[in-house]
Amino acid sequence: MSFLTPRLSPALARINRRAWVAVGIIATVAVVLALCGVGFGSTWIEPRRVVEILMGEGARGERVVVLQLRAPRVAIAALAGGAMAVAGYLLQKVTRNELASPGVLGVIGGAGLGVVIFLALLSDESNSLVTSIVWQPMAAMIGASLAIAAVFLLSGQQASSAVRLLLFGIAVGAVCKAATLILMIVGPIYRTTQASRWLAGAVNEINWGEVQVVAIGLAIAMVGVVAVARRLPPTDLDEVSARGLGLNLPVFRILVFALASALTALAVAFAGGVGFIGLMAPHLARLIVGRPVLAGIAASFLLGAIMLIGADLIVRVLFAPTEVPAGTVTAVIGTPYFLYLVLRRGSTNG
Amino acid sequence: MDKAISVKALTIAYGAATAISAVDLDIAKGKVTVLAGPNGCGKSTLLRAIRRLHQPKSGEIRLGDMPISGLKEKELARHIGLLAQSPSAPDDMSVEELVRLGRYPHQTMLQPWSAADADAIQAAMFGTGVSHLSERRLGSLSGGQLQRVWIAMVLAQETDIICLDEPVNHLDMAHQIDCLDLVTRLNREHGRTVVLVLHDLNLAARYADRLVFMKDGSMVADGAPVELMREELIEDVFGISCRVIEDPVHQRPLCIPIRNSSPRFGAAPQS
Repeated sequence: MSFLTPRLSPALARINRRAWVAVGIIATVAVVLALCGVGFGSTWIEPRRVVEILMGEGARGERVVVLQLRAPRVAIAALAGGAMAVAGYLLQKVTRNELASPGVLGVIGGAGLGVVIFLALLSDESNSLVTSIVWQPMAAMIGASLAIAAVFLLSGQQASSAVRLLLFGIAVGAVCKAATLILMIVGPIYRTTQASRWLAGAVNEINWGEVQVVAIGLAIAMVGVVAVARRLPPTDLDEVSARGLGLNLPVFRILVFALASALTALAVAFAGGVGFIGLMAPHLARLIVGRPVLAGIAASFLLGAIMLIGADLIVRVLFAPTEVPAGTVTAVIGTPYFLYLVLRRGSTNG
Repeated sequence: MDKAISVKALTIAYGAATAISAVDLDIAKGKVTVLAGPNGCGKSTLLRAIRRLHQPKSGEIRLGDMPISGLKEKELARHIGLLAQSPSAPDDMSVEELVRLGRYPHQTMLQPWSAADADAIQAAMFGTGVSHLSERRLGSLSGGQLQRVWIAMVLAQETDIICLDEPVNHLDMAHQIDCLDLVTRLNREHGRTVVLVLHDLNLAARYADRLVFMKDGSMVADGAPVELMREELIEDVFGISCRVIEDPVHQRPLCIPIRNSSPRFGAAPQS
């Protein structure tokens, strides 16, 4: 695969190899955690048994529990967490700012609002959708795109100024969340079991149809991600230098924002507004694998998956049988992490 | 004269403010052209416009016979390299990683990486004397070393034309000379056309084949350093009264500033 491992000097080849070894280790952790995620519940099914059932063995009852109830939940957690993490990776790269993420830039808020408006407009008396569920991510995507477009336009000429971008992002996100809350209180959504999802993000009550929608959308988005990845390296430099190398940064930035919005929307459409994964996962990924872009994207995806599967496991272990949104866990861990990054930034940048 | 770049009636505005107006300039192939002038005269804007980082309000820039407005981004980046005024890269990036970025415009979807890229990187690091630093992190380098690495990145781009925007600004005197000697060598030995923006008039006079004076967004004068380094012209452009003598070592004109004669800064106290 000369595409993935271009001709490198020994030093860079070593860096690249180390990065992919790290990705392999993270992938192993992700798989084990996913099996535990499927295994855990009112009855514990050990990981090896989970694999057997997934391979087609097991009694009917067991199969229903694993395949219909638990596996879709873990699958959506993995896909949504991964998608948000990759969105965060792209945003952090292209803004040269480790604080950038779908949450901080208002994209999660916009996507959530999009879905809530969609549900409010297109639900019937009994709270079931009058249209196909496939349109739900579309609504999320429209909301997400409008949110990031608003942030971008409000930041104006100084869109490259990290601080302005973040401030407007936080503001737009807050407005969207408030609107979401109002819609939920006055609209029909509060009665649905999905209510908690749009407040904090959760992955309960997921079916394979929804997993399928996300998986297909994600597969399409990933083609875009790989195409964009090749152009990411110059974004490590200041704007003038990056443009001097032939990267049309103003256009590229919009492309990346659109892609990050799509990824976020896919996640938010079914897992809701899970915060901070898009902030923490890419940051950790870069700490672990360093600069290689494709390895960084892979590691971000896997760490994002690990975080949301893990957060969902934690709420199930601690609060079962009450359904607490997984997003509360990511928020509890993510907020101090965010503050730590802000404070560290403050101390190094004077 | 063979023209590398020709600028015709170029006007550039930031919003309502005109940064440069009606500039006509031919940049000679294989020569070192230095743009000089006081702060805010538009010299950096002109340099960035040549690299198409500013959209002209009117006028045209041609690369050889082609208008640059018709070139693709990467195509343009294979013709003109640019060292930004205050370039920045992450501290934890290695020297080799930065120099590699210079190959970005040469990589395409079908040909992501070639032997030519590896050779260009080696040559660029060797040519700027940073080969031994290749695994070092940028954050661990001195200012002079770092500037050499940035020049290596631009060099790896293998462009005929290299634009440098105040490359010696943050360097001490030894590294200023070191850096400009390096740039001159690239010009003399590799025939690269060099366009420099320099603050320091004496460095400009020493290194330029051709000197361009700018003031308030317009081109005031253009010629060999001996022609331009005249006391009345310098007073007019830079607002300093001065004496110009011949540098006894390099036989270039040398300006000795006497006092600020510009009313902008208030009258200089008479003693």
